[in-house]
Amino acid sequence: MPLPLYYYLAVTAVNVLMTWALYLPYRVAHLHFLPVANMAISAYVAAHLVMQQAFPWGLALAVGFALGFALGLLVSLFVGDAPTFSVVIVGFTFLFITRTVIENIAAFGGPLGLFDLPYIGSSPAAHRHLLLAVLYGLVILVGFLLWRFDHSGLGRAASATFADRGLATSLGVDTGRLGAMLQTASCTVAGGCGVLYGFIYRSLHPDFFGFQLVGLFLTILFVGGYATPWGPVVAAPVLYGIPLLFPAAIAQWRVVVYGVALILVLLSKPDGLVTRDAVRSLEARLRHGGKT
Amino acid sequence: MEVFVAQLINGLSLGSVYVLLVTGFNLLLLVALVIHFSYPQVVVLSMYAAWMTLRAASDHPGLAVLAALFASVLLSLATAPLFQKITQRKGRVDVNITMVVSLGIGMIIGDLLSRVVNNGFPVAFPPPLTGSGPVIHVGLVSVSWGQIAALVGGVVIVGSVFLILYTTRQGRAFRAIAEDPVGALLAGIPVASAGLRSHALAGVVGGVTAVILAALMGFASPGLGEQVAHKVLAVSIIAGLGHLGGGLVVGLCLGVLEALVQGYVSGTWSNAVAFVLMLVVVLLRPRGLFGSKV
Repeated sequence: MPLPLYYYLAVTAVNVLMTWALYLPYRVAHLHFLPVANMAISAYVAAHLVMQQAFPWGLALAVGFALGFALGLLVSLFVGDAPTFSVVIVGFTFLFITRTVIENIAAFGGPLGLFDLPYIGSSPAAHRHLLLAVLYGLVILVGFLLWRFDHSGLGRAASATFADRGLATSLGVDTGRLGAMLQTASCTVAGGCGVLYGFIYRSLHPDFFGFQLVGLFLTILFVGGYATPWGPVVAAPVLYGIPLLFPAAIAQWRVVVYGVALILVLLSKPDGLVTRDAVRSLEARLRHGGKT
Repeated sequence: MEVFVAQLINGLSLGSVYVLLVTGFNLLLLVALVIHFSYPQVVVLSMYAAWMTLRAASDHPGLAVLAALFASVLLSLATAPLFQKITQRKGRVDVNITMVVSLGIGMIIGDLLSRVVNNGFPVAFPPPLTGSGPVIHVGLVSVSWGQIAALVGGVVIVGSVFLILYTTRQGRAFRAIAEDPVGALLAGIPVASAGLRSHALAGVVGGVTAVILAALMGFASPGLGEQVAHKVLAVSIIAGLGHLGGGLVVGLCLGVLEALVQGYVSGTWSNAVAFVLMLVVVLLRPRGLFGSKV
């Protein structure tokens, strides 16, 4: 498999998973950036375990997921039902504390980062195939769980909370518990994603997990559509792929393009390109064999 | 003791910059109903405008100040309609959407600065703006022109904003909107145009802050806005969102605390101080130490 195609497929899968990690708490109107901090923490810890402590990669991946779960659960106990702005701030705060801590830990390479992470397969080709298999297996698993969630009572409770938190509480929805559950699930996914992300590039740097990465995930979420998991599935390959088709001179402006796309979509089509109504109508068509 | 005094002066001047930034941020929040996360990016862009003018106009400081003011006010006014469209559609402060739009603006500014100006390298401001050396120098304690500008500028600008808010008709309208936007509208206050004026005022504050920051730090970089943005958020959250007086107290205290940590602890841990404090406050007192105004 050509390297550019491998990177495109691998990074697209990470982008879909991470945007879903942001999508989950946003179902109850929480714009939560803790998953990006979780990504960094799990990536660095897993890399350290594999490189310095000779842990098997699979075990390091499991540790990544577990770290994401633990931190997500711990923080969600405080902000599971917090006002939106507090959740935003807690996420950003963790992102910057994480960065400062990583930059000051010598075992994590300090401000220089970690390089030459080992291959997880017997050869570079096996490494790439194994990573892609794990990534897309995870995309299918998380996608299925999201689909089940959206079609369950919990999904409807989340929609009610998004529309009107007070009304949802009156209807008997435990908004705090629901928020905590979604935040924890989101951080768990992000923990695993961080480990995979580190081993895709085989290097880690504090700059990898900054403002630009948050911006990319936000763009995918809001341009694709935040009301259905299909939005990120459509937007991630397109937004990441289109700049790669242009000459390098134009492709280097992709962050500006993301910023402009984000603002234009929010102003003209606030629900994003793939709306819940569009998905429902498509599902109905498929159910009736193409007849509406 | 000398280290303490030196760091206290550093902290007060840094705190003055935080106070200026959080005043502009809160003004936009209270009157224009916008959480302008990227307001500090606008300030950094204005610093670059000043740098480019200095290069083009043979280091003329007066023109650089005008360029920074012009850039800041222009950008604030140019982005105002984006936020107004969202606020009009929702009829209230939409934290998520205004913040995401603001993040989008920040992404564009940050990337433009890292590609267009000086090939993305940090820019250094020449002595006509930063001063050629310390104004006062006693042992370890030295006071630069930038520090004096930060302290004096902070007092004058924040004092002027409070004067406008509490002694003018426009200020009364601003305060009415901050108290109750719907009530203000019913009382005949033109909320939309007052919002636009608050953008202009925040632009002026931002322009002056850009000049002070340039004089104080002596350089600007594309990543500076991102760093400062989080400190401004920290001050705003710790004080209580939209609390102007609280922002003043917390901004100064945070500046001093950071400077003291920098003076006595090795590494870059001073950056974490603001965030750990913010985390504790958000988790234990979600409405801030002085109470949120929104």
